[in-house]
Amino acid sequence: MRDDDLVTLIAVFVPFSLLSIGGGSAIIAGIQHESVAVHGWISSREFIDLFAISRAAPGPGTMLATLIGWKVAGWWGALAASLALFLPSSLLCYGVIKVSNAHKAKRWHKAMREGLAPVGVGLVIAGVISIFRLSGGGLVAAAIAVASAAILTWMPRFPTLGILVLGAATTSALYSLGD
Amino acid sequence: MTAVPDPTAELPVAIAARPAPGLGALFLTCLKIGLLSFGGGLSGWLYQEFVARNRWISDEDFASSLAISQMLPGANVVNLVICMGDELRGLAGSVACVLGFLVGPFFAVIALSALFDSLPDVTMLEAASNGVAYAALGLLLVICLKGVQRATKFPPGLVVIAAVAIAVGLLKLPLIPLVLVIAPVSVALAWRRS
Repeated sequence: MRDDDLVTLIAVFVPFSLLSIGGGSAIIAGIQHESVAVHGWISSREFIDLFAISRAAPGPGTMLATLIGWKVAGWWGALAASLALFLPSSLLCYGVIKVSNAHKAKRWHKAMREGLAPVGVGLVIAGVISIFRLSGGGLVAAAIAVASAAILTWMPRFPTLGILVLGAATTSALYSLGD
Repeated sequence: MTAVPDPTAELPVAIAARPAPGLGALFLTCLKIGLLSFGGGLSGWLYQEFVARNRWISDEDFASSLAISQMLPGANVVNLVICMGDELRGLAGSVACVLGFLVGPFFAVIALSALFDSLPDVTMLEAASNGVAYAALGLLLVICLKGVQRATKFPPGLVVIAAVAIAVGLLKLPLIPLVLVIAPVSVALAWRRS
């Protein structure tokens, strides 16, 4: 581990933290450019692999930064990159909700929460549409998603992990049958 | 199997929230989600735990926090646990939620990276992980259904939902400027209603 590696990791990821408006997908291209072309930490091929791993792993997709830090400088690199990516945006978020909650009793605050709720729901629907298109899963994807939602609607106590296992079992079975 | 009536089945949308959970419960809940949320759909997991199962957060607070989380920089779900942690337990709640939420994935990505390097055939694994991702989409659908159901009581809300979904999801308009236009309209509609 070299100290200047850690400093560079922090210097690269802190700005990305504050630029990642709308979530992690906004900064993937930028992270790729910095870590492959500018700093030469990893090859293009390695970047794609790390991206795929960060998607397959549980947790937010931006854990990609953790993996890059790990490749560059081991455990300390992973820690430095993670803190650099998550801490600045988290502090900003906390500040914003503190300011807005200071007016919790006011009528406009209630109207704001009520008015933002349908916007949030619309954004989730938009997210479902884009993930569905990106997945290229077609009818199988739609059927599994609808079935999962139906199970949770009619059996609210059904374990969430069980839903994921059923999904994996279905596509695995289809894959084996297709062989 | 005897049919046990499900106490949560037909309750009205506005259910009284339960007493706020302790810091340990928040940390453990977020740790669990962080470790198990394969295939994305993390806001779907958060909804299941914080709203549907434990009823710590109301449906409407969840959806509005989600909108705020998406507008600010940072991973949406991290911002979302900060909002909910603060609402339930203040600063300590936010810290407990974020730490619990990120510590699992931190080790999981590194472990998975080591595992991938040592696996010769990953096609079966890919098939399985696709299925997980499709099921995770279903978790998000639950939030959509609940939101639409709630909005049927206030039709302008339905119009807002449809407008955002179409503009961002189908027409691919940029999220931030679009929300900056639609959110004030939606808030004004909610203001007139109250």
